[in-house]
Amino acid sequence: MSESLLVAAPALPLVLAVACLWRPLREWAGGLLILAPVPALAAALVVRRSSVVTLQHGLVPITFALDVPGAMLLGVSALLWIAAGAYACLRRCGQPLGGQAVVCWLLTLCGSVGVFIAADMASFFMAYALVSLPAWGLVVLDDTERAHRAGAIYVAFAVLGETLLLIGFALLAAAGDSLLIRDALAALPHSPWRGMTLALLIAGFGMKIALIPLHVWMPPTYRAAPISVAAVLSGAAVKAGVIGLIRFLPLGTVLPGAGEALAAVGLFGAFYGVAIGVTQEHPKTILAYSSVSQMGVIAAVLGMGLGAGDGGAATAVAFYGAQHVLVKGALFLAVGVAATNSRRQLWRVIVPAAVLALGLGGLPLTGGALAKLAVKGVLGGGIVGMLANLSAAASTLLMIHFVHRLAGSSAVEDAAGGRELALPWLLLAAAAVAIPWLLFPLATGGSRLAALHPVSIWASLWPVLIGAGLALLRRQFERRLPRFPEGDLLALGKYAMPAAMRIGEASERLEAGLSRWPVASLLLLAAALLLGGGILIAR
Amino acid sequence: MMAPALPDMPTAGGFLLVLAIMLPIAGVLLQFMLGGRQAERIALLVMPAGLAVAVAVTAALMLSGRPLVYHLGNLAPPLGLALRADGFSALMLMTTALIVSAIGLFARADFATPTGTVEARAPFVFWTLLLALWGALAVVFLGQDLFTLYVGLELLTFGAVPLVSLDGRAETLTAALRYLLFALFGSALFLAGTVLFYGEYGTLDIALLATRTHPDTTSAIAVAMMTAGLLAKTALFPFHLWLPPAHAGAPAPASALLSSLVVKGPFFLVVRLWFGAMPGLTDLPAAQLLGALGAGAVLFGSVLALCQPRLKPLIAYSTVAQLGYLFLMFPLAGGVGLPASVRMAVWTGGAVQAVSHAFAKAAMFAGAGLIGQALGHDRISGLRGVGRALPVTTFAVAFAGLSLMGLPPSGGFMAKWLLVRASIATAQWWWAALVFAGGLLAGGYIFRIIAPALSAPEKPLPAIRTPARRREVVVLALALISVLLGVVPFGLTTLLAVGNPTIAHIVPR
Amino acid sequence: MNAEVLFGLAGAVLAGLGLYGLVADPAPLRKLLAFNLLGGGVFLVFGVVARRGAAAGLGGDPVPQALVITGLVVAFAATALAVALLRLLFERTGQTLLDTAAQERTSPDQADG
Repeated sequence: MSESLLVAAPALPLVLAVACLWRPLREWAGGLLILAPVPALAAALVVRRSSVVTLQHGLVPITFALDVPGAMLLGVSALLWIAAGAYACLRRCGQPLGGQAVVCWLLTLCGSVGVFIAADMASFFMAYALVSLPAWGLVVLDDTERAHRAGAIYVAFAVLGETLLLIGFALLAAAGDSLLIRDALAALPHSPWRGMTLALLIAGFGMKIALIPLHVWMPPTYRAAPISVAAVLSGAAVKAGVIGLIRFLPLGTVLPGAGEALAAVGLFGAFYGVAIGVTQEHPKTILAYSSVSQMGVIAAVLGMGLGAGDGGAATAVAFYGAQHVLVKGALFLAVGVAATNSRRQLWRVIVPAAVLALGLGGLPLTGGALAKLAVKGVLGGGIVGMLANLSAAASTLLMIHFVHRLAGSSAVEDAAGGRELALPWLLLAAAAVAIPWLLFPLATGGSRLAALHPVSIWASLWPVLIGAGLALLRRQFERRLPRFPEGDLLALGKYAMPAAMRIGEASERLEAGLSRWPVASLLLLAAALLLGGGILIAR
Repeated sequence: MMAPALPDMPTAGGFLLVLAIMLPIAGVLLQFMLGGRQAERIALLVMPAGLAVAVAVTAALMLSGRPLVYHLGNLAPPLGLALRADGFSALMLMTTALIVSAIGLFARADFATPTGTVEARAPFVFWTLLLALWGALAVVFLGQDLFTLYVGLELLTFGAVPLVSLDGRAETLTAALRYLLFALFGSALFLAGTVLFYGEYGTLDIALLATRTHPDTTSAIAVAMMTAGLLAKTALFPFHLWLPPAHAGAPAPASALLSSLVVKGPFFLVVRLWFGAMPGLTDLPAAQLLGALGAGAVLFGSVLALCQPRLKPLIAYSTVAQLGYLFLMFPLAGGVGLPASVRMAVWTGGAVQAVSHAFAKAAMFAGAGLIGQALGHDRISGLRGVGRALPVTTFAVAFAGLSLMGLPPSGGFMAKWLLVRASIATAQWWWAALVFAGGLLAGGYIFRIIAPALSAPEKPLPAIRTPARRREVVVLALALISVLLGVVPFGLTTLLAVGNPTIAHIVPR
Repeated sequence: MNAEVLFGLAGAVLAGLGLYGLVADPAPLRKLLAFNLLGGGVFLVFGVVARRGAAAGLGGDPVPQALVITGLVVAFAATALAVALLRLLFERTGQTLLDTAAQERTSPDQADG
């Protein structure tokens, strides 16, 4: 039974996507979007750690298995997909979604589920491609100039990440001579290409989790995408990168060099995301930079785990990521709900949103505080731990700024359908508060009482207080803050455009030169001479 | 070094090889005799027959595990000529049969003889040359004698050149003339090499040459000239000057045939030469030169594809780029003491790249033809919204693009994966870096086509002639085959191992 | 210097002339003639090979002779095809150059193709 759930989880969205060729099914899209993630949720709850399913029918055998980190992330992602799907349908007020939107949604969902359960490199790579590339169709749904530009940037970085991972996986497969992830991972520490493999894997997955400087695609994409799309992308799709790092980094081996590098980049990102985020205006852009910051913390935890050879870092990071899935998804839905509520009704959105947002900074008794407690052990007590605490303060600053901007984004009066729209948002918010408490013992092996201890509460509280103080400071200097364009470093890209044009023009001139008959003929004769020389030279 | 293969004894079923060549040629003769609209009917009759022969050849190889051999006139080499089908030949025969049949079905709407006329020039030429190309490709894939291969090569060129100028415009006539003259240059070089081979070794049979050749001065010059001639005919960088105008100017079905099949013939011969007639060449620095030219093709062709304002020239430059990957086979298969699994990976990678590119490029050109006919132009800037008007065609072009980019699951991905694995195993890192760069650039120019096609149009498209559903289905089928090559176990490794001396000692599953 | 070396050298000279014409001359008809020269040179070398491979009692090895005959037919067909295309091109455009850049550079005697 549980084996078939493992297969049904990615299979159902894929089958539905293909079935959408049939028009009547496309009209009923709402039901599809809500039903499709259900097997995944069931699988996360039911499947045992020991179940392994292998499908031998294709060119390479595909293996599915579910471990604790995978199950945590799979479950919360499925919840987010259901909630966001409900939101998307309610938003359209009964009009059918376009065929392209539904198919791309289902394909991305299939990939998002697949990355958590894949146990061999072939199916992981395929699921990763599915979660990255059809999402382009979702990003450009609004069909504005901004959306198309964001879509192009998104695809460019997605293809870059995929290609980096291709080479990294090839090196892994060569080291372990097997396509199963656990065999490859066992062979990696002794591989002659260990450094290169780790660098490529970290770069490839880092592009997905917005490690600096590969983060520039995230703010424009989340800004331009519709609300439900931004919710699933930032919540569930990004965690494909997280699970990739969890699965493919040899966390049981002590690798201080790589670990320290990853931790440094991660911590830098944690502060950088906040620094740029506080200068932004639109709530969705602020949430994007908050994602950059939070993924930086995750990277730092993974780095410390790698450096110390701490295998328990995987579960801690998965718990942190799971909490982030729910909170970020709920906050994006809050942005959408707020835009349809008038000022009078806004408190219904602002108060829960504020609780969730401050939870990202570590407000005591929220899921965020539990998550920070869970990773505290891996980060250790030294300078890294102190910096992590300071990053919690920075996150609080950013989140208070977010709540302020959220409050300012209300509509003039209540839009139609506002009440129904609030339902998925509130359910998701409740899940975001409740589920971390449920999962905490599973994640840390400790008891929930540890989180209620006054010492833990104070440890979570003081960064929040500092952050609140910084937020007040920010209000003072509001006018003097520099304005960065969203995507910050992306603006440097416009210096690359003239260089690209010059390369194009130079190539066309070269082509015109090569098209001249004497040039091509003489090159042919020269090639014959060089080939002959190349054969004789080794005699 | 592996033991060179001795000439095989003729096998039962060798007559299938004669059928594979003679069916299309007999069809051409019938077409000339009966003329007019019968040409199309004869072509449509030959297609299933030829497909059946190709399937029979493949089945015979898979079942017996040995190559099929036929001695013409019952005379064994060196006195007589042999025809031989090993795994790679059978694979290319199947590919040819499938693509020619598909393009034939696709082209019926374009090249139907108009009612009321007895014979029209363009349709008659198209249907005749379709079968002629098929026969020529069969000679190239099955010949075991350097001179038979020369004749096959010439047949291929003569069959392909008039297809370029089928519409009779001045630009296409110029392109056809340039193609013909450059190809003749290549033929002359090939023939000169053949003369030197015969003068030195006294035979032109490939299996006999494998036992006799050694890399001395004469052989080196001969192989170099022959390879250079073949490179000119397969339009490898920097000898690709004739390909973009020719393939972009031809009508869509003809471009599909030219890009998918005709340029694979000379490549096949380079493989025969370097692995069959003179094994051991791939150990030498000359193989790195071939790889370097391939790298240049990938990078240069992709950059130029990114610069093109029109759809068909973009696809033509994409052909220039994708051909470069094929030539990575030569440096990667080199090296003494290379484990058999690596050689297997290189062969499979090269073969899958050739086959999946053939299907994907045929689908792309056919799809581009449908789009051009529907919109009335093929400017990329005017492609917005095509996806809404022609969903099946756009889908097919997107799938074909998937295979060209090398994204999973597709044949192109499998080929690139195998080439990267082989380059890691042989410690030739630069080829892996090339696959990386090529993949990014291919993503760029495919995105240039697909992104506007899948977006909504700025203003509603003017009245579009939707193509017949049958034609769109053919395009989709071609694209799907290219994708399925990476998913369904077609038993390619088993097939390729049959009769291949470099990997013959791998026990097929 | 016996006959074989003489004919071999002659073949080489023909081939060289043909190559030069093929590479350097911009007019397609002249390229075609150069190709025929090149082919002639190669066939001549083939003849030398036939002579050198002559077994006792035979004037020359028959295999290269057969190959030369086939090669002549192929070259003839190639020339016919190229001339047909050239004539069509001349009818369409009135000029017969492939490279427009070469058109500006060449001397006025190109007008007669």
